[in-house]
Amino acid sequence: MNYPVWDVPFLGGGLVVAIIAIIHILISHLAIGGGAFLFVAEFWAKKQSNGNLIREWLHRYTKYFLIYTTIFGAITGVGIWFSIQLANPEATSLLIHQFVFVWATEWVMFLGELTVLYLYFYGWGKNSQNMQILLAGAYFVIAWFSLFLINGILTFMLTPGGWSLTDTDIAAGFFNPGFLPSLFIRTLVMFILGGIFGIIVATRVKENGEFRKKIIYFCAKWVIPAAIIIPFLLLWFWTTLPDNAVTLVKGGTVGVAGGKLEAITRYFWLAIISGGLILISVIVAVIRPQAISTGGAIAIFLIAQFGIMGGEFFREMSRKPFVIYDTLYSNGLWKKNTADENYMKSSYLEKARWDTPVEPLSLHHGETIFRLQCVGCHTRDGYRSINTRTADWSGEFGYRWLSTMHETGVMPPFQGSDEDRAALSAYLISAHDKTTTAREILDSARKEETKDTLSVPAVPAENNGGAK
Amino acid sequence: MDKYEIPPDAESRLPSNDKVTGRAARFLLGRYKIWPIISHLLDKTVPHYRHSYWYNMGGILLFLFSVQVITGILLMIYYRPAEPWLSVQRIVMEVPFGNIIRSVHHWSANLMVLTIFLHMFSTFFMKAYRPPREFTWLTGLGLAALTLLFGFSGYLLPWDDLSFFATRVGISEIDKAPFIGGWLGDLARGGPDVTLDTIGRFYVLHVTVLPLLILGLISAHLLFIQIQGMSETDSFTALPPEKKKYSKFFSDYLFGEIPVWLALSALLIALAAAFPRELMPEADPFASAPEGIKPEWYFLSQFQLLKLFPGSIELLGLVILGLVPLSFLVLPFIDRSIPADSRGRVILKLGIVAVLGLTAFTIWGWLS
Repeated sequence: MNYPVWDVPFLGGGLVVAIIAIIHILISHLAIGGGAFLFVAEFWAKKQSNGNLIREWLHRYTKYFLIYTTIFGAITGVGIWFSIQLANPEATSLLIHQFVFVWATEWVMFLGELTVLYLYFYGWGKNSQNMQILLAGAYFVIAWFSLFLINGILTFMLTPGGWSLTDTDIAAGFFNPGFLPSLFIRTLVMFILGGIFGIIVATRVKENGEFRKKIIYFCAKWVIPAAIIIPFLLLWFWTTLPDNAVTLVKGGTVGVAGGKLEAITRYFWLAIISGGLILISVIVAVIRPQAISTGGAIAIFLIAQFGIMGGEFFREMSRKPFVIYDTLYSNGLWKKNTADENYMKSSYLEKARWDTPVEPLSLHHGETIFRLQCVGCHTRDGYRSINTRTADWSGEFGYRWLSTMHETGVMPPFQGSDEDRAALSAYLISAHDKTTTAREILDSARKEETKDTLSVPAVPAENNGGAK
Repeated sequence: MDKYEIPPDAESRLPSNDKVTGRAARFLLGRYKIWPIISHLLDKTVPHYRHSYWYNMGGILLFLFSVQVITGILLMIYYRPAEPWLSVQRIVMEVPFGNIIRSVHHWSANLMVLTIFLHMFSTFFMKAYRPPREFTWLTGLGLAALTLLFGFSGYLLPWDDLSFFATRVGISEIDKAPFIGGWLGDLARGGPDVTLDTIGRFYVLHVTVLPLLILGLISAHLLFIQIQGMSETDSFTALPPEKKKYSKFFSDYLFGEIPVWLALSALLIALAAAFPRELMPEADPFASAPEGIKPEWYFLSQFQLLKLFPGSIELLGLVILGLVPLSFLVLPFIDRSIPADSRGRVILKLGIVAVLGLTAFTIWGWLS
């Protein structure tokens, strides 16, 4: 509520970030994995009798790699920056202020890796082979270090570890419980992507015999061992997850869209199954290297995109309802303020800086509460639709539910007065042509509360103090 | 123990006896004299050129059909036709992975219908229906019709608001057919109204009758293809012999299809994760139809076309609608020239009009 709200119809701001980010992760992880791949492949080429042929194939690999990763990586990377600060300026501000030198260093790494990659590609044929090996290695180290840095920030959001608002221990926050498992998992995912990309480029080689077989065997070694090791690292990562997330995942894949966050389980299985499918498809490529077409190899790359979609959605959903776990809710409410009942029950719009004047208890009042407090995660009739979730609501039910919604484990506590709650409930049910006004809801609720108070039986006199 | 002698040319083409595959093949051929069939299959090739990717469509359909069979059998374990909505609710809410399996079944059905259209139109534009492949085309049309029937019959089974009213509207279109419409509609419904009796009929159709029919037609369709080999477009046939490239179907082409099927599997799980199939409230036959009720997307074009012919001229609409499948049926008998002649080229252009029209009417139906 300290910032204007980015109200994206149908998709919601969070989903815009998700779509850009999922595409970016595939590209950026390939950018780093490909670097390792090129470095090792250069060494490998040096030892082979047809090293020149291999290096020709590596040249082609680098060309596609450079275009794909630098152009689309940069576009989507900046896209993430653009969208996160719109979707959640409060959280972005916290991350920038806490980790300002981490961000700055990361951008230095981006500059470094781009420079080295261009030197590597455009120096082809001019640089000595040893220089090429050095450049490829430098590229990988710099690029991997950019992962190291962003990994600290990303895992901090889910598991801040020893960091807190009162004791802003940056090192504890950066090297949080999830840091290492995530770093290892991502590095292995990068190797897998580097290998798959190699298979794609191998299918462009006109020769379809021993040479292609050799390259595909080399690429498969980047995929198969990593795909087998990752599940064990996932078990490690699992132990660092917040209890809430574990409970939700174990809840299973039941339910329909809306209500519980069982989507988290479905995305978890998407990630696992995709990993298995990549393993099978690369084994097929090893059994019949001559059979894989470019389309088929791109299909394997697509499976990786779906796997990343599953993994990243899972990771993000594990954090709900927080954007910084246990610290900041996704709708801008600070956890530290939730203990102050006066703060929580005071008028919401008086605290929000970016509201417009409203007539109390009007639909406009309810709509403003909705936009400022709910639109961070929900849309009206699109992604995580609030209309679907409130289809069966009465005004009174909504009023009561809003005061206890944090007990679901996936919602923040409601902040605002009784009037705010009544106005919001009236607004939500108005989407279903229900015309109960906020005033009616409030009056009805207060009548119920009075009835409850009056209906408490008076304590009988003989029981008073146990006097006989 | 008498065994048959392995033919000499089989000996040279089979893997050696120290490989498991070699021993298994000799075991089989020693008992069943099927070497002519196997050598014919081993000789099968697929043209390798820029339109080759369209040859994948058939395999994709077979794959999606297999997904339907497997997920369908799993759903059958818990589905109860006497308590349809409750059993589907249980599948979705209680049965471990029931939600995902149901959603995969739904999405695979949709993808299968989409692929049928892609397969049908790609074989149309590649003119693969020309002699000697007329019956491959006709059995293919039969398979398309059966797929749509699968979709229509399966749609009712959850017995929620959406499926009930969509089925009621759909069958009411059958009622409009001249002479036999009413009788046919009653036969489909099991009476004048859509009731649990309709579920009984649609369920039997969906899990027994249609699977038997489709397995028969698939076998015929595949048999014709194996006997005759892959069709080649005029552009490929016109290439000089040295430019004609082929890949062996068993097992290079087949192995090449596997990553595509695996990617499709990932797509199905992704769709099930991101867009799980919802279960609307249980059907209430006495309630009025939800506003703007529409059939599933693959029936939208027909639905929209019929809307243009209301009341007294609805028969005209049905006739025009009937002309479309009729024209597909007679196609192999009117466009027979290889390479294509002027009639063939006109038919190609009409095909483009048909695709554009189908797409336009579908979008129009979706938006209205």
